[in-house]
Amino acid sequence: MGILEKVADNRETKAWYGDIPVQHLYTAGVAGERFLSEIRDNGKILGTLCEKCNFVYVPPMIYCERCFARLTEWVPVSHKGVVESFTVGYIDMDGKPLPEPRVMAVINLDGATSSLVHFLEEIEPDDITFGMEVEAVFRPKGERKGSILDISHFRPVG
Amino acid sequence: MGYRKVAVVGAGMTKFVRRSLETGKELSFEASHMALESCQLTLDQIQSVVFGSAPDAFDGVHMKGEYISDGAGAFRKPYMRSYVGGGTGVFTPIQGWWHVASGMFDTCLVVCEEKMSPCQPHPQGAFLTIFDHTTERPLGPNLLWIFALEMNRYMHRHGITEQDIAQVAVKNKKNALDHPCAQIGREVSIDDVMNSEVLAWPVKRLDISPVSDGACAIVLASEEVAKRITDKPVWFEGVGWNLETAYWTNRDLYYPKQVEYAARMAYEMAGIREPRKEINIVEPYDPFDYKELHHLEGLLLCDKGKAPELTRSGVTARNGDMPVCPSGGLLGVGNPIAAAGLMKICELFWQLRGEAGKRQVPGSPRRGLAQAWGDLMQVGTVVVLGR
Repeated sequence: MGILEKVADNRETKAWYGDIPVQHLYTAGVAGERFLSEIRDNGKILGTLCEKCNFVYVPPMIYCERCFARLTEWVPVSHKGVVESFTVGYIDMDGKPLPEPRVMAVINLDGATSSLVHFLEEIEPDDITFGMEVEAVFRPKGERKGSILDISHFRPVG
Repeated sequence: MGYRKVAVVGAGMTKFVRRSLETGKELSFEASHMALESCQLTLDQIQSVVFGSAPDAFDGVHMKGEYISDGAGAFRKPYMRSYVGGGTGVFTPIQGWWHVASGMFDTCLVVCEEKMSPCQPHPQGAFLTIFDHTTERPLGPNLLWIFALEMNRYMHRHGITEQDIAQVAVKNKKNALDHPCAQIGREVSIDDVMNSEVLAWPVKRLDISPVSDGACAIVLASEEVAKRITDKPVWFEGVGWNLETAYWTNRDLYYPKQVEYAARMAYEMAGIREPRKEINIVEPYDPFDYKELHHLEGLLLCDKGKAPELTRSGVTARNGDMPVCPSGGLLGVGNPIAAAGLMKICELFWQLRGEAGKRQVPGSPRRGLAQAWGDLMQVGTVVVLGR
């Protein structure tokens, strides 16, 4: 049965399942290694500064994408920042309903030029406002794994 | 034809390693930064960027061209990624060439990156789905099998032995000892190659290049700009590329026709009538040792079936009449797919400028050729550079 014959029922077209069977082992990179180690070991969020472009990258980069300088100045930024945008997710990656809606926000940390995307919790979606102050909540030290999820989520300040 | 002269004016590369801490972005930055520093340009003097990388499944990032773009210096610039499988590393500089030759841009940064180590359990797995899912995938083929079929056909057609072919691995791995970026430069003997693990007969462990992470970059400039940047520009003299049938079983595997067509295209553009006399250094694609021989024949640099003799008599040694893979090739320097092809262009750049250090071939070579091969075992890509 070809494309020019009208197929009323897609089950009439024979098909089989297959996959591309690969998995991946990622490295954090030179910048990522230090960024994640600081979060895990010291609960600190670091960025890198390009003095020429007056830009603080969080997550940090070893180069400035704007002027291509090698960045060597690491600066701590605040755990607090402001909400630049947010969404409330109701479905997962497969399109299935989530047990609880989940809020994701773009957060500009004080001292950083770029922003970070992370979960926003401990607040009702209807109460979220643009520019509201939020802060990082770290997992307990023993539970941190050197992952971006060592910051469990952000929550409103106060 | 109405295109402008284009020169390579700078080059850079990272070490090739089995697993880098650096991300693909960071590898690309290191190579690009070195290439720009080598010709004392800054990113704001680069008008366009082209990027080459093989399957997204290696790095494990879909749309990795876009993902890596900032590491390749493409922030807010005209940017394109190309991908023709293993042929990418010599195709991407061709893409860069037409950016400048066309008159659209005076400068172009060409970056090729590959980070193969993420792909688990082996990058080989990413290739299963290049085969026809109806007639070939059910057989569970892998690339080694295909190469083995081709190598065996080549050996059979010309009466070439495994030992003849092993000479290439011996030569290239030794050449790589002099390359500061090389992953597996070492002294091996023909016996070592013969006694190494059989992977898919006649292909053995030491017949093949390794899995690698790495990046390379070159800077291209139009004639007028190139002459302001350097007094040693290396010119594009010819480019060629050609695609064979996607059905690798529809052709005789003993000879790479697509490489010949790509070479003829490049020779015609360069005005080369007698390539054997007019090409001084060759960097053919050598992911497997027999491929160097196969490709030398496809490039018309020797008669069919005669490449092993050239190797045996020392013609292709670094101090021979026609040095082949003086860099150490993929067999010695390593094989981060797209970056490995561009490494060959970098090698020609350094050799033609007399800057290849311990690897420098004698006699002030005037012209060199780099070639890569890939897609579904079907593409030939060729660049001829001269000074």
